Amino acid sequence: MNKELIYHPLFIFLLIVLSFMLLVCLIRAVKGPRVADRLMAVNMMGTMVMVMISVLALLLQEGYLVDICLIYAMISFLSVVVISKVYIGIYEEQHHSQETAEGGNTDERS
Amino acid sequence: MSAAEWIRLIIGCLFILIGMVIFFTELFGVFHFKYVLNRMHAAAMGDTLGISACLIGLMIFSGLNFTTMKMFLIIVFLWFASPVSSHVLSRLEAATNDNLSAHCEIYEDVEILERELAASVENNNAEEKEAPVS
Repeated sequence: MNKELIYHPLFIFLLIVLSFMLLVCLIRAVKGPRVADRLMAVNMMGTMVMVMISVLALLLQEGYLVDICLIYAMISFLSVVVISKVYIGIYEEQHHSQETAEGGNTDERS
Repeated sequence: MSAAEWIRLIIGCLFILIGMVIFFTELFGVFHFKYVLNRMHAAAMGDTLGISACLIGLMIFSGLNFTTMKMFLIIVFLWFASPVSSHVLSRLEAATNDNLSAHCEIYEDVEILERELAASVENNNAEEKEAPVS
């Protein structure tokens, strides 16, 4: 029996299942009530896309696609860390400006 | 196909099946839990164990070449990256949520938690000692 005849449908089936899971992750990212929810869903989607790229590398017999997968892993990690840090910074800045505004008001009242 | 290749196919399929089941569990947990810090527990599982199982299955399919080594590198990288990103995300949640105490207990000092845990362990030990006597 030919090897291609088994592996090709298997990989296609795997890609279809993974794409459905990706869609469910996207629903979580849209629904998520908090920012951390959305970032977590994006992280999960990154993991599944990594598996998809690896499957594609074996399906197309192109080894260099795994390099892209490695770079994708690094960029997805970096994006999560950077977006969290930026969001914490923005939130604290707004909080401090609100506090100082409130403090100024109370001072005026007193 | 020879017998060895059939065995390779079956073992690889087994690993990929384990990975898919773990991904499915992850998705179920993400929709099942009610709060971000609980959901994160389910989501961190797929980042390390799910992708490890899937890539080990693909490595068995691929055989011994450079592609396999790169996949192993991805697994090792995610072992380091996933806990760090979970930690950063939970810090984001703890820093930006104003009524965090509505969802979980907050200990201002670690010593309070340690004292409570030690007290509960002592209580358990005392109950276990009393049980056989009575």
